Amino acid sequence: MDNALEFMFAGFAVFWAGLFVYLLILQQRIRSLNDQILVLRERLKGITSNDNSE
Amino acid sequence: MNFIKITIFKLNYSVFLPLWNSRWIVLPVMTSIFIMAMIIGSVLAAPREVIEGDVQRLMYIHVPSAIISYFAFGITAVSSAIFLINGKMRWDAIARASAGVGVLLTIFVLSTGAIWGKPIWGIYWTWDARLTSTLVLLLIYCSYLLVRNLGNANDTKAARYASIVGLIGYLDIPLIHFSVDWWRTLHPQRIVFDIRPSLPTEMLIVLAIAFLAIFLLVLWLILLSATTEYLHQQIGKLSGDLEQMEN
Repeated sequence: MDNALEFMFAGFAVFWAGLFVYLLILQQRIRSLNDQILVLRERLKGITSNDNSE
Repeated sequence: MNFIKITIFKLNYSVFLPLWNSRWIVLPVMTSIFIMAMIIGSVLAAPREVIEGDVQRLMYIHVPSAIISYFAFGITAVSSAIFLINGKMRWDAIARASAGVGVLLTIFVLSTGAIWGKPIWGIYWTWDARLTSTLVLLLIYCSYLLVRNLGNANDTKAARYASIVGLIGYLDIPLIHFSVDWWRTLHPQRIVFDIRPSLPTEMLIVLAIAFLAIFLLVLWLILLSATTEYLHQQIGKLSGDLEQMEN
């Protein structure tokens, strides 16, 4: 069996890779949240400018 | 009775509230410190296992991930039950967030288990009771996330169906836990949560640090993810209100 050192490193690599992928997904979700806020702001601007012109 | 109420109230304001308010600073810092300690402990400080060699060090990720995944899915089950009772969407956000983190941990458990198994058993995978029931758990909560993602953040119907899956799926966890007692399996018996743990003290200390590190990491990820889900729900509601104003 020797040391099976490469298996140990592979296991730790899986842990870090998994964590990295999860954080990427989370970041994507937060970015979409940001985009939605921008859309909302634009729509709100449209409503308030319509109210002012009336 | 009044004394107890006053003490709880004081504790809430003197201890828990400041801790809760500083969660976005305290949690990442504490998690980083303990993850660093876990890595140093597992790779350098813990003694090398005589029979299995260095690959046994994967235990410090494998075992805590397995136990803490039960905790994450437990949060999903409890939040799903509360959501089914009161219908408040914030519970759905918590359930969804913890299910995602639980799935991540189960992937860690299965992959580190397979990598550990190869040099010890000679195979990556076998249809053993412990391994198969863990794979079933992963598939159940993947289907939970799939069902929940069918609707948008405020879809109560999708949330309701997903909650039922999240609640029933938890029944697999006692099956996983006791599988090593109920069936003859290739997977070893419990070595940590026993009356007399069969590990040397140095290994137990590193394992305790690893438990704390992964617990903090999971807590942080669940909080971060649940807050994101909750904000999605709030923005969805605001968008709906604006639509009404525009019409």
